Formats: sequence, structure tokens, C-alpha cells
Amino acid sequence: MNKPQSPLWTNSTSEARKTGTWRSALPDYQNIPSPCLGACPVDGEIATWLRQVTQIDHYGAWLTLMENNPFPAIAGRICHHPCQTACNRVQLDETVGICSLERFVGDKAITEGWSIPKPEVERTESIAIIGGGPAGLSAAYQLRRRGYQVTIYESREQLGGLLRYGIPAYRLDNSIVDAEVGRITDLGVKVHLGVEIMNSAALAKLKEDYSAVFLATGASRPKALPGLDYSQPYVQDSADFLAITNGGKTCELGENLLVIGGGSAAMDVARTARRLGRHVTVLTLESDENLPAQRTEVDEAREENVEFICGAMLKDVNSTKDGLILTCARVDFQPGAAKGQFTTTQIEGSEFELRVDAIIPAIGQDADLARWQDVVPGDKGLIDTDQSWRTQTEGIFAAGDVASMARFVTEAVGQAKHAAVAIARYVSPDEAKDPPPLLAEAKFNVINTAYHSPDARHNQENLKVEVRLQSFDEVQIALSAEQAIAEAGRCFSCGTCIDCDNCYLYCPDMAISKLEGGGYVVNLDFCKGCGLCVAECPTGSIHMQEDLPS
Amino acid sequence: MNLMNRKNMQLLSGNHAVSWAARLCRPDVAPLYPITPQTPILEKITEFHAEGLMKTELLTPESEHSAMAACISASLTGARVFTATSSQGLLLQHELLHYATGARAAIVMCNVNRTPASPWGFWPDQLDSLSQRDTGWVQFYSESPQESLDSVIMAFAIAESVGVPTMVCHDAFYVSHSMEPVEIPDQAMVDDFLPKFDPARKLDTAVGASFGAPLDQNTWRRSRMDLAESLAAVTDETIRVGEAWGKLTGRSYGPLERYRCDDAEMVIVTMGSMCGTVRDAVDTMRENGKRVGLLKVRQFRPLPASMLRDALAGVPVVMVLDRNYSPGTGGILHQELKAVLSGMADGPKVHGLLAGIGGANVSSETIDRWVRDYQNAEPKPESQWVE
Repeated sequence: MNKPQSPLWTNSTSEARKTGTWRSALPDYQNIPSPCLGACPVDGEIATWLRQVTQIDHYGAWLTLMENNPFPAIAGRICHHPCQTACNRVQLDETVGICSLERFVGDKAITEGWSIPKPEVERTESIAIIGGGPAGLSAAYQLRRRGYQVTIYESREQLGGLLRYGIPAYRLDNSIVDAEVGRITDLGVKVHLGVEIMNSAALAKLKEDYSAVFLATGASRPKALPGLDYSQPYVQDSADFLAITNGGKTCELGENLLVIGGGSAAMDVARTARRLGRHVTVLTLESDENLPAQRTEVDEAREENVEFICGAMLKDVNSTKDGLILTCARVDFQPGAAKGQFTTTQIEGSEFELRVDAIIPAIGQDADLARWQDVVPGDKGLIDTDQSWRTQTEGIFAAGDVASMARFVTEAVGQAKHAAVAIARYVSPDEAKDPPPLLAEAKFNVINTAYHSPDARHNQENLKVEVRLQSFDEVQIALSAEQAIAEAGRCFSCGTCIDCDNCYLYCPDMAISKLEGGGYVVNLDFCKGCGLCVAECPTGSIHMQEDLPS
Repeated sequence: MNLMNRKNMQLLSGNHAVSWAARLCRPDVAPLYPITPQTPILEKITEFHAEGLMKTELLTPESEHSAMAACISASLTGARVFTATSSQGLLLQHELLHYATGARAAIVMCNVNRTPASPWGFWPDQLDSLSQRDTGWVQFYSESPQESLDSVIMAFAIAESVGVPTMVCHDAFYVSHSMEPVEIPDQAMVDDFLPKFDPARKLDTAVGASFGAPLDQNTWRRSRMDLAESLAAVTDETIRVGEAWGKLTGRSYGPLERYRCDDAEMVIVTMGSMCGTVRDAVDTMRENGKRVGLLKVRQFRPLPASMLRDALAGVPVVMVLDRNYSPGTGGILHQELKAVLSGMADGPKVHGLLAGIGGANVSSETIDRWVRDYQNAEPKPESQWVE
């Protein structure tokens, strides 16, 4: 008989068999936020620019960084990098050294002299920004690149605020500040230096003259330590100390210094004083493990022979001709629910004495609100703002330390970016765009770790301690280009397609096609919804979704 | 007549008769895995092969499952394929038995019927192959070593003509290890009877055609309709091939054999080695004036339904002897026969006896007793345990 058995044999393609009809679920290519992005104060597209670093597209990486933060070289040195805390890679070996890579890209931009692209359009609306620190400059940048006319009023002689006057050169050299701030002013930002908006009347006048006003004066008034007489020559507040020493002037205080406080400013004071040859003791209310400064700052301070007395308070100062005799006592420190809140209980009979020549309190700073109280009321030490950083007065916005207790440089930069968007919406509502919807973050379990080999982090080296104490040279030594590319290559690119072609190669129905210029498309006639592409995606950027009838 | 005086007569067990048949059919490929009581088939084939008497590619994979997988692949390349197994081995092949039929792989396999475990045993019982009745394999049940030899040769002719895999089954020990004079046909005659296998479609790297792609629902259905059409042609093909073989050898075979059934008041229906015992009992009973006949079911799959109805039309009583027990159902031949005869105007009363399950001996005297017991009894729907 040998009847032809045509259905069983295939002598052309199997395209006639529409396996797509079997499907109940469909893969969807959708880049979703990486955990680092979710943690980043400026919403940086970290996975994207790290990928660009691996592709040796440093300019592209810099542009991606600059989208959200005009200070990659600065942030790459001083950011508290919550991105690294959130990094999924810690579940395989170690987090990616994102901060050191940001510095690498930022330094590259300075070396190469890259400038910010000019605004595509010029707008007539004008914005006054009061304060030329991280928040003011971030807002100025975001508004100016959108074409708005921006004027900064800065009370000091130079722009930079805390970046210039509050952070010592061994962490952030002023040449870096000059370069990144200069790029912003080069965009065509008007700057008035040495001008202080002293009172409500002056602020009200600005509001009349400009389409909107942004307040970014930071927290410039030192908190006062109760019971300490600041008028004495042996007391100098930390902000003054850092401004003087950062300005190149010498320290007039004695040989033995007591720094009071456990935050970043206290570490900066202590380590600066060590570089000036002083013997330094840091006295903190907080116990060692609760110190608010970044851990690396504390560790490096100890390396530099700063002595710590944690969990203790200053009770009395007795000035003698041979110096100060300080009476201190141990305390039981209990952190409170919110940042900056705590309770202390003195431990009876724990008094002890210290002998020093001078005291530098570094216990934080408050915003100066009283001068504008009539125009922008504030409470709890901050100007009242809503989620879009609008004050209670229409047309006036505020962000950064003047409006938030999230006292990190990059937090201020991120807040100011959001405030700039809100300002743009306010002054030109027609141009307003709705922000993209928030998507769930890519968790570790969506990463196919078969495609990521364990590989230890390429860490930045530090200068040797003996070298550090001889100068204000930067402690952290930048990654080499090779190290940077290798380190960026450790990124999982969580939730971000890297055009690896795994989906294209593994699809059993050849239902995936590559798009010109990157990305992929699923042929619905043949995708049977097996999910192999999702399983083999190294980055978790493909997702199965129920295939509902359209 | 002294059979041994005939041309090419040898005293052979059923298993060695099958090995001889395999040798005569010149299979290109024979994947084999040993299992009691099939092993002598394999052993004899490997002997033939070692002596250079079989130019067959022998494969000895790690299991019966792999053996059958190799059979299917080889068959689809256009090779003639033979294999043999038994009981657990056949059961291990189950999923591939379905596959082979769907692939229209014209494999011929000898299955030595043996009790499936558990309890463990090696005894003649047909449940192993009967429980493969839905796989689409053509199934023949052989009564004797000579019939096993002839059946394997005819099975190649049928399988390769219709394009379906075919199984020749014989009972453990009663046929597999019992020896009788077996006539071995001339090689030239077999070559003439069984020309080289040359299917229309072959897997060949030189030909741009593949096998095994998934089918859509309608095409899959169509492939089953094609299969049904081919299986419907098997019975006629069995008759044609059996008659052709008869002309060459004097031994004709058909799907059924009616033995002394004319004017019978009772016909005993059975398969395999039991037929020999019944044949003997029928002769004795006929001598004693009892009108009893034997209907031997040689081709169980596809079941020759119309032929069965014709063969039993006008017979008052039928007694089915099942050397198998399908748990929860009873004797498989009993059940199938009732279904086939259902609705016949002059259909017989049908008794189902579970006879010789697990290889328990059934003598011709026992059969005589059962005939007396059931001749005038009212049939029950359930198969009856008897001894």
C-alpha cells in the first residue's frame, strides 16, 4: 500500500503550524527598575550607565548620569550610596562598586572637558534660585537645560555651598567642585554672589520679578550645644572650622582638640584637624554602632588615629591656664523612631575628665527660617512643603536641607530635581508631562545567575595613612579604566535588557526577532508561551503575563 | 509421517524458531535487550550474527525503552527492524509503542507472553501484550514454534505493506521453550516473498524532509483517520499474505481459524498455546459425540469484528478461555467478544472463563469438564474464575 503519510512528514517550514494558538501566557519585554535605581536619591539609571561603561561608551554613560545629577564626579566621591546597599549582587558575592564607577565616569568628563548640551529651546519664564549649594545648583541645571531663564542668588563669594565650604579636600577637592559647578553656569545661568535675601520683603520682591522662586539655602545655622559658651575663644563651631580650613587658612586652636558629634561633619573636622597635626578626640552621645556618619568615614578616621569616646556627653568646662579640664559622663543612648531622634540617660557615677585645648561642636545645623516667616511659614525647623516641594505660597518652592531632614548631598540634588520638574509644570503647564508609572523593582530571583560568575569587587585603594596625614590629598584612589570596565561588568543589569540574544537563541519556536537598533519583538503567531525566554534572561527584563483576549 | 524427513526440518523451540525467522527476513537493524523468557531469541540471533549468518546491525542498548526508541528511529530511515521482548520489557516500552504506531514505523517484534509483576513470576499469561491493545500495534498470537516462525515472516509483509508496527506473541515456555520439528523455509523463497523494504518516506540527510514536528489539532486528527484506514486494511492483508504463504509452504494462515466448528453446539474461543490443548480436547469430545469446535483468534489487533460475527453466527453457546485477567474487567478476549457479538439477532450465549491464569496448567480433560459445566448454564456478564 505505502499510502503517503503527508501529515507526519515536513518537507518545507513549519510556519503553517501556528503554535501561538496554544498560548495562555505571553512574554513581555519591559525594562523594570533595578533596586539601585529605587534606592538612588536622584533616580539614577544606574544599570544603563554601568552597561555603557562596559561598552567603553564613557560619554554615553556620562550623559545618562547627567540626566538626573549634574555632579557625577562629586557624588562619586561623597554619596552615601544607598544604591550599593540595595544591590542584588550581594546575594551572589558582593555589591557592585557603583559609587567608585560614578567617580570614574565623572572624572573622565572633567578630563575630557565635556560640556552640557545647550537647551534645545529658550523659554521666557524666569526662575530665581536662592542658594547656590547642591540643591540650588541641581535645580538650576534641570531648569536651565529645559530652556528656562535661571538666576542664582548666593550669599557667599563662590557657588558650591556645602560642597565647597563643608567638605574637606581629602574627600572632595575644590577643583572637582569648580569643574562640575562651572559646567552648570556655562549653560547660561545668571549668578549673583554675595547677595543674601535677608527678609520676607526681599523674597516677596523676587516672587514678583520672577515666574517662580526656589529656596535652597540649606541648613546653615549651627545647632547650639546647651551649656557651652560659644563666645569663648576655645569654642569654634564645626562649620566655621571647616570653612576656614577649606579656605586655606590655619587653625588657631590648640594642640589637643575635642570634637563633639558623630556625624559626617564631625568626622570631617576630626580628620582635617589630624592633617593639621592636632591630636583629636571625638566625643559622641551615640554608641559606636549607632554613629550617624558613614562607616567608611569612621573607619578611616580611626586609621588616622582619631580617638573616639562613644556613648558619653560633655557636662562641664573648666578653663585653666594649662588648658581645659572637661567633665564628661557616660550615657545610655537609645535611638528614636525617626532619624535624629534619640533619648539619653546619664549613667550615675560614670564621670570622667578630659584635658583639651579647644572644643569644636559638630552636632548638626538648622535651617534659617525666621527671616522669611511671613512669606513661607515653617514648622519643626523646616519650610513646609508638599510632595512636589511646593511651599504654602504659590510660586515658591523649597528643597534640600531647608525643607528636609534627609541630610545628604545627593538627597538634596534629587529633591531639587523633582522640585525643578514641579516648577516647570507650574510655570508652563502646557509643557507638563505625566511621570512614567512606577513599576515593581527587579528582585534577585528574576536574575538567572548561571550567566553571572562569582567575581570579587574591584575596590578603590586608599592612600596609606602616613601619606594621608601629610596633606589634604584625596584619600580614595580612582579605579583604572581596566578596573572600572571589569567592575561595571559585574552589574546584573537587573530588569534592563542588554541585548544578549538569549531569548532570540533559546526560543524553541523561533518566535523572537531582533529589532534594528536593539530590542526584540515576539511573533504572536508562533509564541506558545513556554517562558523559556524569561527563564534564560540574565537580567529579568522579560516578564510573562496572562494573554487575555484583546 | 516422519516430519524430520521433510526438507529443512529442525527441532526448534518457539524462541529459536523466531530467531530463524528473523534471520530469514534479513532485518537491517535489530535493537535487543534480554529478558526471561525471551532471551534465547536474542542469544540465537547474536550467534547467527557472530557466525556471519546475519548481516544485521545489532544494537544492545541499556533498556527495552531505548531498544524501542532505536527501533523507531531506524525504521524511519527505511530500515527493516526486528526486536523481541517480554512482560516488563514490553511494559517499559509502552509510551514508545504508541509513538511507533503514530510514526507508522513498520517494526516487527516478538513478544513472549509472561506474567507482569507483581507478584514476580515467569509464567505464560497474555496480559502483558493484551494490555497494549490500545497502542495500535497489530497483534498475532501463535500456537506453536512453526506458527511463530511463519508469523514473523508474514508480519514483516503485513507491517511493511500497511505501514503499522506488528507484534507476534507466543506464550512463555509452552511455546517459547517447547521444541517441535520446524520447517525452515528456503532463504531464496523468503527473499522473494519479502522484497527489500522501501518505504515512500525515509529520514535521510540527503532529502529535505523531517519527521516529528508537532501537528495542529485538525492535522493530528487526520493522521489518526489515516491510521484507522490502514488498520482497517490489515485483516484483508492478513488473509492475502496468509494465503500467499500457504501457496509457498502448504501452511495457510488467516486472522481466525475455525476448527471443527460446523454444526457445533458450543465453540471454544481462545488464543495462543491454549488452542493446542483445546484442539486436542475438541477431537476427544467429537469422538464422544459432543458437537464442540474451536475458534482460534490469531489476529487480536485489529480485532476482525465482522469475521468473528460470521464465524459465530448460529452457534448456540460460546465459551471464551482467557489466559489473562484484566483487573477490574475480567478476561480481555471475553469482553471484546461480547462487544463484537452484541446486537446479533442469532448471537450465541457467551461464557467467559479465566483459564490458566499465571500459567496454571489446563488439560484437555479440564476443558471437557468446563464444557459440561457451561453447556447449559446461563451466562454471566463477569468472567468466571475456573480451575
